Amino acid sequence: MIQLFLAELKRSWIQYIRYPVEALGGILITTFFFYALFVGAQYVAGPASQFGERLDAVVIGYVLWTLVIFVVNDIALNLQVEAQTGTLEQVLLSPFSAAAIFLARACASFLLRFSIVITILGVILLLTGSQLRFPPSLVLPLASVVLGSYGFAFLLGSAALIFKRIQQLLILSQFGLLFLLATPTEEWQGSLKWVGQWLPMTAGAGLLRDVMVRDVDLDGLRLLIAVTSGILYFGLGLVAFRWAVQVAKHRGILGSQ
Amino acid sequence: MKTLEAQHLKKSYRQGGKQVQAVVDVSLTIAAGEVLAFLGPNGAGKTTTIKLIAGLIRPDAGTVRIVGRDPHQDPATLAQVGAVLEGNRNLYWRLTSMQNLEYFGVLRGLSAKTARQRGLQLLETFGLMEKRDVAVQTLSRGMQQKLAIATALIHQPALLLLDEPTLGLDVESAQTVKSLIRQIAASGRAILLTTHQLDIAEVLSDQVAVIQQGMIIAQSPTREFIRQFAGATCTYQIELEQALDPIRAEQLGSLEVTLSEPHQMQFTGDPELFYRVLEILRPLPLLNVKRKEADLTHIFLKLLKKGNGKA
Repeated sequence: MIQLFLAELKRSWIQYIRYPVEALGGILITTFFFYALFVGAQYVAGPASQFGERLDAVVIGYVLWTLVIFVVNDIALNLQVEAQTGTLEQVLLSPFSAAAIFLARACASFLLRFSIVITILGVILLLTGSQLRFPPSLVLPLASVVLGSYGFAFLLGSAALIFKRIQQLLILSQFGLLFLLATPTEEWQGSLKWVGQWLPMTAGAGLLRDVMVRDVDLDGLRLLIAVTSGILYFGLGLVAFRWAVQVAKHRGILGSQ
Repeated sequence: MKTLEAQHLKKSYRQGGKQVQAVVDVSLTIAAGEVLAFLGPNGAGKTTTIKLIAGLIRPDAGTVRIVGRDPHQDPATLAQVGAVLEGNRNLYWRLTSMQNLEYFGVLRGLSAKTARQRGLQLLETFGLMEKRDVAVQTLSRGMQQKLAIATALIHQPALLLLDEPTLGLDVESAQTVKSLIRQIAASGRAILLTTHQLDIAEVLSDQVAVIQQGMIIAQSPTREFIRQFAGATCTYQIELEQALDPIRAEQLGSLEVTLSEPHQMQFTGDPELFYRVLEILRPLPLLNVKRKEADLTHIFLKLLKKGNGKA
């Protein structure tokens, strides 16, 4: 599995740098957005501003938002592109399961994207002399959000395998993400509050708001819910994806566009 | 144990609200080192059968065994299958030849180091060494196809599935691919080959199976197949001194005679019927009458005609 991940990482990197202008364009846009954040243009952070008004909160929120959007769309877009270019069936002729291959791919492209974003951020910090505070207590809530987003990604991937063209669903899913990440469900009252905590990614996002906006310590129970729900949604996504692969094989539409 | 044993495969789809029988009943067996030419018109079920064998489509009924294991139940079986699928690119165009070999090697279960070593050997064997660092999208169609076959062999599978491997290739590239297929079979791999180029199938295959409307209508060793059907059908080319008149042309049309020119025609069928053709032509002066040796192309066309007649 490690070998597969490394092979996917190498493939993602080669494909990323094959067209330098395309890669450079992406880096310039990301740099521009970060620079704008540092000079005070918080509106470019969009929904990320929900994570607080301090610079470090805005930046962490922005990084999280862009990575979650990237992760959520990654598997479905990858499947559609591979079906169009005619490599999907060749990829699935493997002793590795489709879920393992696409998980390795999603992790590789996430690591690549994350590294680029962090490098750009580091360079800007150096150039502007700014400092960001990143409390270690953020790691688990962040991980729970990323796990949930992978679950979401596999669910959308399942839809792409069966329904093929799901561009509209991907656009719609962005609104869903906005709701899940930006709605302060932790402030809901009564039983609704606990329902809100079990929605995908909401518990982790709420904890991030606690630490970055409200300056309170992590709530143990809510952290447990966040991590558990992250694992559950991730598992649900994997199960749905395996089922979708079987359905696509049964209908003979695995490689169809 | 045969390398491939596919028994009574069936597959139907729902298409536009209708149930379409893509594969009705297909059984195929191939031993190690053997090439089976799988022939049939477009839409007969060849590609569906290949995908059923490769585990990419699940059969409604029937079984697939590759070196004794079922690819639908045991994904590890796919380590024994290599495929070049028609209509697919099969390779990553942004990656170089070597990078494709390395990537697909790992994807098929090899370590990166082994994939690299085998990749180099394959590039050497396939005459692609000087293109090792060239992006696939800049290679010629023939080279891309050779590389796709090399990539399908990176994990040394027992079974190689080749769906139209010479489609769209120029004569020289098709010849190269042909000799490569011969080498691969000689190395002990079983090959299932679909092609519309029947001369290639005739030269390369040990066995022939003909599929029509999802059913195997003929299957036997290639030489036996040609001998068996050559006895029943003959092809004669007839050249007249003058153009054929419309009345005779109509009469000959009902006897499987096809006019290639107004004064040239070809008859394919029962040798007894040929004398009736000559009767109709009497007393027109004949310039040339020649019997053509039966080949796979004629037998194939004849079989399809017969099959259509039944349907």
